[in-house]
Amino acid sequence: MHRATLDQIRILVSSNPNDDYLARIKAEIRAEADAARERAPLPRLDPPPRAAVTVDDGIDRERLDYSLGELCGHDYIAFIDHAFRALLKRAPDDTGSALQIRLLAAGAPKAEVLGNLRWSPEGRRVGARVRGLLPRYALAKLARVPVAGYLLQWGLALAGLPLLLRHQRASDTLHAARFNAVADERREHARRLDELQARQDAFNAVHGEMRNELTRLAQRLDTLEQRAKALEHHAGALQQRSDATTHELADLRHYVHTANHWVASLQRSLDELETAEAAESARADELLAALAEPDTDARAARHAAWSAALAAALPPAARVLDLGSGDGRWLAALRAHGLDAHGVEVNRVLVERARAQARPVALGEPLAALERCAEASLDALTLAATLADDALGTANLLHAARRALKPDGVLLLRAEATPCAAAGTEPPHWRALLAAAGFAAPSETAAPHAGAVLARRGAD
Amino acid sequence: MRIAVLVPGLAPHDAVSNDTLGMTAALRRLGHEVALFAPHARGVDEPVRAPDTVEAWLRSPDDVVLYHYCVGWDFPLALFRRTRARRILRYHNITPPEFFEGWSAGYVASCAEGRGQLDAYAALDCELYLGCSPYNLEDFTTRGVAPERCALLPPFHEVEQLHSLEPDPRRLPHGSPLLLMVGRLAPNKAHADLIDTLAALRADGADAHLLSLGKLDPNLAPYGAALAARIAARGVGDAVTLMQDANGAELRAAFARADALVMLSRHEGFCVPLIEAMALGTPVVARASSALPWTLGDAGLLWDEDADAHLIAASLRRLAHDAELRETLRARGRARYDAVFAPAVLERDLAAALARVARR
Repeated sequence: MHRATLDQIRILVSSNPNDDYLARIKAEIRAEADAARERAPLPRLDPPPRAAVTVDDGIDRERLDYSLGELCGHDYIAFIDHAFRALLKRAPDDTGSALQIRLLAAGAPKAEVLGNLRWSPEGRRVGARVRGLLPRYALAKLARVPVAGYLLQWGLALAGLPLLLRHQRASDTLHAARFNAVADERREHARRLDELQARQDAFNAVHGEMRNELTRLAQRLDTLEQRAKALEHHAGALQQRSDATTHELADLRHYVHTANHWVASLQRSLDELETAEAAESARADELLAALAEPDTDARAARHAAWSAALAAALPPAARVLDLGSGDGRWLAALRAHGLDAHGVEVNRVLVERARAQARPVALGEPLAALERCAEASLDALTLAATLADDALGTANLLHAARRALKPDGVLLLRAEATPCAAAGTEPPHWRALLAAAGFAAPSETAAPHAGAVLARRGAD
Repeated sequence: MRIAVLVPGLAPHDAVSNDTLGMTAALRRLGHEVALFAPHARGVDEPVRAPDTVEAWLRSPDDVVLYHYCVGWDFPLALFRRTRARRILRYHNITPPEFFEGWSAGYVASCAEGRGQLDAYAALDCELYLGCSPYNLEDFTTRGVAPERCALLPPFHEVEQLHSLEPDPRRLPHGSPLLLMVGRLAPNKAHADLIDTLAALRADGADAHLLSLGKLDPNLAPYGAALAARIAARGVGDAVTLMQDANGAELRAAFARADALVMLSRHEGFCVPLIEAMALGTPVVARASSALPWTLGDAGLLWDEDADAHLIAASLRRLAHDAELRETLRARGRARYDAVFAPAVLERDLAAALARVARR
């Protein structure tokens, strides 16, 4: 990022000079804050007292009264340290400490060091009182006056000679006592040193054992590392197999998608074929309906003769099923004799034509309709000859008719006029098939028009 | 390209760890082979390798070492000096040691050591210095690093996960207004100013409450004691809740209940709680220190560093009574989050930064 960009970002977010809305709000808040300062001021508190929390330097800042003896009772660095803490209420800094030690090393009395600290600007601010210090400090300072100071020291030394001798003897005793104490301490230290040596030997022994244990742990670590590498290798192999499986799954997914595509394409083709077949079937129905026999006197006479013969062979209101009913004219003839006649026709156009005349003709396959009839449920069954134009189909039809007809039921085969044959043309194999199917005494009706065969179901 | 991500440590609910893990996942989505290296890790569902195996793992000078620089650590510095791989320094900033003087000698030494390595990293001329904020990048541009070697990428975060949590307000206090502070108890966070703000509100008759979510390091116990003393001195002991063990659901509930996030910190390298507030619709009142102005943008009430308790308190009173201001800040916060800090934006910016490294 260039510096220019950084600067632009900073300007954009920090000042945003066009933000009048926030600027106005902040100005109002500032005014409100000013009012709050007047209304409910907070008492001033110092910042969190860091040193008071963390530092315990052992300085008694409340105490300001000392005796000369307690300050002079220490020597060398301890004397300087105590003097700083008592008179300046702080630990000695390096420079100040070194300066005062140099004074002591040059033979200055302790009173002069104490006086220097007490009456320094810092010491005056603290204002500690040391009883008996002032005259001794004054004498120490007078002793530094040339000639007069020297003579003063002579006079003081001569005057204090007996005291000095007594002090010297006391010092001898003190030093002897200290020597004995130091000798005792040295013996104690030697004893402690022996103890420490014994502890160190024990520690060395433990250390040696730990080193051995460490070596064993290192060996185990090596073993573990080798196993980890082996595991890593296996993991790599597993990863490769996983990758391969992933590729295979991708291929399989591709194949499934392709098969789905083929199936969908096939389904579309079948749908198109079914649609074409339905259209073709409708056209065929229309064509065949157009070729159907017209409603003529001859047809009416033929139906009257056949229906009369059938009604004579049946009880009143007998239940009759007609297969291949066409436009239902034949059904109308049957129902005129009081028969309970219903028909089935496969041609949708003819069925619609029949229904327009209130003739009970159902749309459907004749054989399927017959097979749906209950066993021994029909008094009579009439068939259009066009349904029995081949031997095998006729055989199946007669077998189903026998099942559906009552034991004394009647079967009528009627040869209507078709585009290929005139009415009354009886298929040559009818009678043989009826006999073979178990229908008794097939005989042609006595009507003026031939072409119908009436047979009665034989016994089982 | 292999990318070795090196970090001083990984732990749950830690900003640097969240950035590391989020960036690692993003790099993998970009098609790179990424491995994590850290001296210690806990609560992280990710394999972590020992740092001294970084060089063995890298294969080519075209590979990348990405170091999350947030403490003083000699190992990465030595690694950056000798490796032939390309180097990306992800800089999270380090608190200046003076904030800890008088509170913890250990923190002072640690922060001084960390910041003491800035010069050395700047002199290395790494292929990319990736800062969480423009403020962070200034630590290097002022040391002579060329601006074209710097890139800005805010840290990856867990704000979306936080947003999806069911809030759990059972342990949370009530207050009118309720002031929320999210961050550890440390001297640079200026908790004393928050306490003073609370005292100013209560002195003016408000039933205000301060909710602080964040831990106190035992090494900063003196600072904790000083805060307790401050609370007692202000007489607001019954209006302060310091929660050191809040979980994600409670954090989510705190943002929902608080009237404002009040961030008066005097040093932040980025400040993730600000974007949490922006994403969750909590208005923000903040001090314009360090990286805070950039992170917050125009989506909050931002005051100069010398803003006193009365000014912050007046801001909170205004927020409580000005519905239009609240809605404006919420809308701006959400817009800024979506434009700059949303995960998809971060991933896009990361890809752009990596592309710059790849060209070198």
